[in-house]
Amino acid sequence: MGILALYLIGIAALCGAGVFYISRHFRRQNSSVMSHIQRRKREPYLFLFPTLLLLVLMFAYPLINSSIMAFQYYKLTAPDKVYFNGLDNFRKLFADSDVWLIIRNSLLYVVASVAGQFVLGLTLALTLKKPFPLKGLYHAIVFLPWAFSAFVIGLIQRWSFNGEYGVINNLLMKLNMISEKVAWLGTPGLSLFVVIIAMIWMGVPFFAIMILAAMQSIPADVYEASYIDGCGPLRRFFRITFPYIQPTIIVTVLLRTIWIFNSFDLIVVITNGGPANYSQTLPSYMYTKAFSGYDFGLASSLGVMLMAVLVVYVTLFLRVTQYNKAGDF
Amino acid sequence: MNHKVKKSLFGLGRTFLLVFFLLLVILPIYWMCITSFKPHKEIINAQEITYFPKEFSMGNYVELFKLYDYRRMLFNSFIVSAGTGLCVTLLSIFGGYGLARYKFKGKDTMLLFFLVTQMIPGILVIIPLYVIFSRIGLVNTRLGLFIYYMITNLPYCVITMRSFFERIPYTLEEAAYVDGCSKMTGLVRIVLPVMFPGIVAVFVFAFIGAWNELIAGTIFINTADLWTVPVGLKSLIGKYDVKWGVLMAGGFCALLPTAIMFAFMQKYVVEGLTAGAVKE
Repeated sequence: MGILALYLIGIAALCGAGVFYISRHFRRQNSSVMSHIQRRKREPYLFLFPTLLLLVLMFAYPLINSSIMAFQYYKLTAPDKVYFNGLDNFRKLFADSDVWLIIRNSLLYVVASVAGQFVLGLTLALTLKKPFPLKGLYHAIVFLPWAFSAFVIGLIQRWSFNGEYGVINNLLMKLNMISEKVAWLGTPGLSLFVVIIAMIWMGVPFFAIMILAAMQSIPADVYEASYIDGCGPLRRFFRITFPYIQPTIIVTVLLRTIWIFNSFDLIVVITNGGPANYSQTLPSYMYTKAFSGYDFGLASSLGVMLMAVLVVYVTLFLRVTQYNKAGDF
Repeated sequence: MNHKVKKSLFGLGRTFLLVFFLLLVILPIYWMCITSFKPHKEIINAQEITYFPKEFSMGNYVELFKLYDYRRMLFNSFIVSAGTGLCVTLLSIFGGYGLARYKFKGKDTMLLFFLVTQMIPGILVIIPLYVIFSRIGLVNTRLGLFIYYMITNLPYCVITMRSFFERIPYTLEEAAYVDGCSKMTGLVRIVLPVMFPGIVAVFVFAFIGAWNELIAGTIFINTADLWTVPVGLKSLIGKYDVKWGVLMAGGFCALLPTAIMFAFMQKYVVEGLTAGAVKE
């Protein structure tokens, strides 16, 4: 309990310091000699200073560090033997015959998950558009997976798809769709498929929430006009609803793509990359490399390549969404 | 006539879809819940899989709390998540206000920086951060984990908070300043009460983000008495023997706080999720 007390005091101190230093600035302004304009110029930096400090120290600096590590022999098990080894890490990376399999897996995983989430999310949003009894309660239940941890979802998935005691095999056999038990998690190809299902399940609420919100901002008179003109539901969807929600869809899909690519806790929990890297993606491979062999140099070189891909992606993202001009996510 | 048939068909399809999505969410949770109440023998009976426990048993829960000290894990998770939630909320109120109410040099770069942090895979930061933490003695501490959760949740929360601030007209504050109210008093007395939904949403984001995180936990924490819930439960997955009953019990308990939180704050959370994303 002593540690807890210290810890809580630490947090309180950090927060207190933040409040104190910002409030001091504003208290001083009554008696200050600085002109109003000068003060106002400093204010935004003061407000953002704590956040930026934290991000620069704990985010930007480590990232720079890691790009240096990519060109080093860096094993955590031998911290005294760190030296620059040029492109050795990259060579080692591509000498690994599994790399292409892993790149293929990553693509499949991202494309299938995003597509599944989008289709189901859009369907859910469309069904939720008109009011029905107990709508609030229904929302609370159907959007729940958003709040769930990937870890627990992964556990449920792994247990349900268990080859011997799993409920999925049992159900499929009862429905006569398979004649004997399938080793979902032990079969190349199938194991990644199981991960994708879990990923889709997890992401449907987010898509639905976003699309629903976008649909609610469509002015009602547009629909009224279409009713008067005798427009059918399908046509209404493609000519009115879809064009209106298109910008939201683009932003959501692009953001989701990158989030899904980055997240691999489901993979770690459900298959741990197995069997034989058949469900490994690039980030999960990086995790395995870094913390099974403690070869941080090799893992960082993979990281540098990921960053290069990300730079291209972010540039594209900015072009497509015109994020800079809109100034909004 | 034709029109009526069409309409009722549409209604039927819609009801079908509503039920489908409801089942899609409920069935996996039901399966987890039901497994957690089955005795071990019934769980690993491959011949007969029961869809409702023949024999209700609290054995898994007893084992979880007695043998694996689940209370300790819950406690660790709670400390780290609550700390993250509080600090992130506080910092994003300031940051969001700064971004919403001022035009200043470097603002666009800052926004871009925040966006980019959202796109960089966590593992890319975790690896070098591990090296740094091990130098300054933050590996295997809750403080280190807390710092990591802060930096991963802050940018998104700042941006969200900014959108909430932008919805409040500046004239509201201005009136207070004209009346002689100081900046800080204005912020605390006038703006924050109106901002309540935003504050709740951001707190829930940060809390849930920290509560659910697994990877950084397994890397930064390696002694059992500091394990958070996901890390502790993951240790129960052995190579050959997996205690499914206990795992399901633990997973179910881990979902409850976030589920309850979400159920009560749903309106604010949904508002928060969309605030940052939908242009008005």
